[in-house]
Amino acid sequence: MSPVLETRGLTRRFGGVAAVSDLSFSLEEGSVLGVIGPNGAGKSTLINLITGHVKPSEGSVLVDGQDVTGERPWTIARSRVARTFQVVKPFRDLSVRENVAIGGMFGPERASSARKAIAQADDALERVDLLEKADASPGDLSVADARRLELAKALSMQPRLLLLDEVMAGLRPGEIQPALDLIASLKEEGVTILVVEHVMKAIMAVSDSLLVMHEGAELARGDPETVMRDERVIEAYLGQRYAERARKDREG
Amino acid sequence: MRAWLPWAAAALGLVLLALGPTYVLYDAEQRTLGSVFMFVVLAQGWNLIGGFAGYPSFGNVVFFGLGGYTTAVLMVKTGASFFVTVPAAAAVGLGFAVLMGIPILRLRGHYFAIATLGVAEGMREGVINLPGLTGGNKGTTIPAVGEKATASYPGNTGFYFYFLILAVIAMLVVWGVARSRFGYALRAISQDEDAAAAAGINTTRAKIAAFALAGLLTSVAGAIYAYQQVTIYPDRLFSVDITVLMVVMAVLGGAGTVIGPMIGAVSLQYLSEWLRDNLTDYHTFVFGAIIVAAVLILPMGVVNFALDAWKRRRIALFQAVRAYRL
Amino acid sequence: MTQFLQATVYGLLEGGLLALVAIGFSLVWGVMNIVNLAHGAFVVVGAYIAWKLNETAGLDPYLGMLAAAAGLFAAGYVVQRCLINLVVNAPIWMTLLLTFGLNLLIVNGLILAFTADFRAIHTGWASDSLAFGEVRVPYGRLAGFALATAVTVGLVLFMARTRIGLAIRSTGMDRAAARLMGMNVRHVYAFTFGLAAALAGTAGAMLGTINTFSPASAAGYTLQSFVIAVLGGLGNMWGALAGGVLLGLVQSWGGQYLSGTLVNAIAFGVLVLVLIVRPSGLIGRPYYEARAEA
Repeated sequence: MSPVLETRGLTRRFGGVAAVSDLSFSLEEGSVLGVIGPNGAGKSTLINLITGHVKPSEGSVLVDGQDVTGERPWTIARSRVARTFQVVKPFRDLSVRENVAIGGMFGPERASSARKAIAQADDALERVDLLEKADASPGDLSVADARRLELAKALSMQPRLLLLDEVMAGLRPGEIQPALDLIASLKEEGVTILVVEHVMKAIMAVSDSLLVMHEGAELARGDPETVMRDERVIEAYLGQRYAERARKDREG
Repeated sequence: MRAWLPWAAAALGLVLLALGPTYVLYDAEQRTLGSVFMFVVLAQGWNLIGGFAGYPSFGNVVFFGLGGYTTAVLMVKTGASFFVTVPAAAAVGLGFAVLMGIPILRLRGHYFAIATLGVAEGMREGVINLPGLTGGNKGTTIPAVGEKATASYPGNTGFYFYFLILAVIAMLVVWGVARSRFGYALRAISQDEDAAAAAGINTTRAKIAAFALAGLLTSVAGAIYAYQQVTIYPDRLFSVDITVLMVVMAVLGGAGTVIGPMIGAVSLQYLSEWLRDNLTDYHTFVFGAIIVAAVLILPMGVVNFALDAWKRRRIALFQAVRAYRL
Repeated sequence: MTQFLQATVYGLLEGGLLALVAIGFSLVWGVMNIVNLAHGAFVVVGAYIAWKLNETAGLDPYLGMLAAAAGLFAAGYVVQRCLINLVVNAPIWMTLLLTFGLNLLIVNGLILAFTADFRAIHTGWASDSLAFGEVRVPYGRLAGFALATAVTVGLVLFMARTRIGLAIRSTGMDRAAARLMGMNVRHVYAFTFGLAAALAGTAGAMLGTINTFSPASAAGYTLQSFVIAVLGGLGNMWGALAGGVLLGLVQSWGGQYLSGTLVNAIAFGVLVLVLIVRPSGLIGRPYYEARAEA
């Protein structure tokens, strides 16, 4: 069985700078890959490359064994790949419910009419606990609710592969646990998830494996515990002094 | 509000309009209303691409002119009857919109607006430079009356009804689009194109479809107009003023709504005529002042303002200023 | 051959003037993302100011040019500060409609004040010319070209060396960051617009000594400014000069061998083509999408 997601030598340059450089990894069905790295490491670009919003300069992306490199975003979306945006992108003049219904109208499970899709939207809304606010306008939502809306929009696409771009940013500690629970329950249903995150506690709790990016390239990849103890990773995040101290601690 | 109420009102209005010429309306009034209906079509056409999809075209008049010239050239050169030229004009409008849309709908914002303007102006110049076909600057005259005419000339009442029928069609098209998945696709594109693509919307196809519909409606309007004018000139049929009028009507009435552009067309056309009659020397000046004032006070248009007042109990005057000021 | 050289000379010189007309338009579009449909009207107002001062007070057009620049700077500043700043963040058709309404006001105001007749500013020497063999180089146009080059150089230096110039450039790149760094963005925008209006007025006064003008000339100047701004890249001063010269040459050569309106059609064709293929202009750097606005 081919992995749900595979990248081969994925590279993207903007002018002279490589935002993503020679990234190769794969994701088996039902697993969760956490992607971490300092700001500017290329994590959002990676997601954009997978979803087709940005075309790679080199390399390829395969979804379920099919080469989707260079395909338009809607084609990839209809292959059951859904994503959230780091800076939330709601449809501002539509209600929360209508926002979610769009995915149902045009995603893989194309509803036969607008009205049907709107009715079905409630399922996704309930999943993220946003049902009471279904008639509200996105502009009136709190940060946490806005992120829930992003998630609901992605879920309405009935994805097999879900790409989450910093969904926990700006959430209060109490708001993080429900998000983690949701990710866990999605994983149980067999959804394959790639999570880009800065909130360490969250990503350690949820990931089967971790990919550390630095300046567009892979710095380390593997079991979360091992990766976090890797000297290079510590250096990238905290600087050389901490890396040396960590090494001394281990040796001593 | 009872669901059938707006329908009943519309039906009643339609009946009145249909009976108007026979019982109530003078020739001049019929002509005025005829041009009102024509602008309803133009404004609704713009509404589809500019209002719903959010791509503000400043060159829709190119379809108007192409439709008009298709009719004129066919009637002059081949002696075809008017009714034969209408599908031809529609096809030309649709086809050119698709052709033009493929490269140009990739542009966004100002770039798109100016590219469409460039195409319209370029087409105008192009038509001027084909005197053999189009008569160039000297214009071309349709054999509408006399021995060469293939049918009897419709006259004021005839054109009144042609434009009325087209306006009704335009209203129905926009109403249909607004309720459909296509309408949602366009609105999603207008509100966030990246998110729309991520939700599975084929944004390229949707935009081109909206543009094609606009082109179709606008070119048929141009065809009827050309027949009505009998003698047509490039400067008139590709005039930037027509573009601006249709944009102002759609926007001030309420872009992205169904009845907004209709309200905009009716009020602005009557306003324009009133100004022309009563303030002849100043009328364009005052018109400009009104546009400036309206953009500041009611940028979302009359219909959206009314909806806001009704649903959210707020009077959103100067909303542009509040929301968008620096 | 002489004809070709003559056409080239005219094209170059005319192009310089066109660059002067367009440079302010390009600046405003590049820095503030505002397409000022009333730009051509500012040009014509400049011409009228110089003309009126010449008619009534006998003021030399070159001094009149300064008066036009000053007057239009003030007017532009006020218009931006009190009017356009109000809707700067709005969807673009709002600012387009606003400036279009403004254009109607100004052009028709001019018609009411001065009638639609064509005017010209008479100077003694502008129509005399240098002669190189059989090729004439009119003084008036030469002065115009020199002025355009001087203004471009001046603007580039201004943008690079003065505080307000740097403020304009940085606000153009990232408005929110500029604000956070303490810049009064409302003032910077108003200044930029005033500057653009002043440049337009100067160009208009200059043009008034060379060509005839009337309120109806405004539209043509706006349209040409579009083409030049797109060709040269938005906000790119050298690009505006180059774009202007290019357009001037194309129009002049084209006018020699093709009918006038076909040349216009070609200009529009080039405009659309450039927009599709390379929206950053023939000279500008590739447009980077991450243009932070807030």
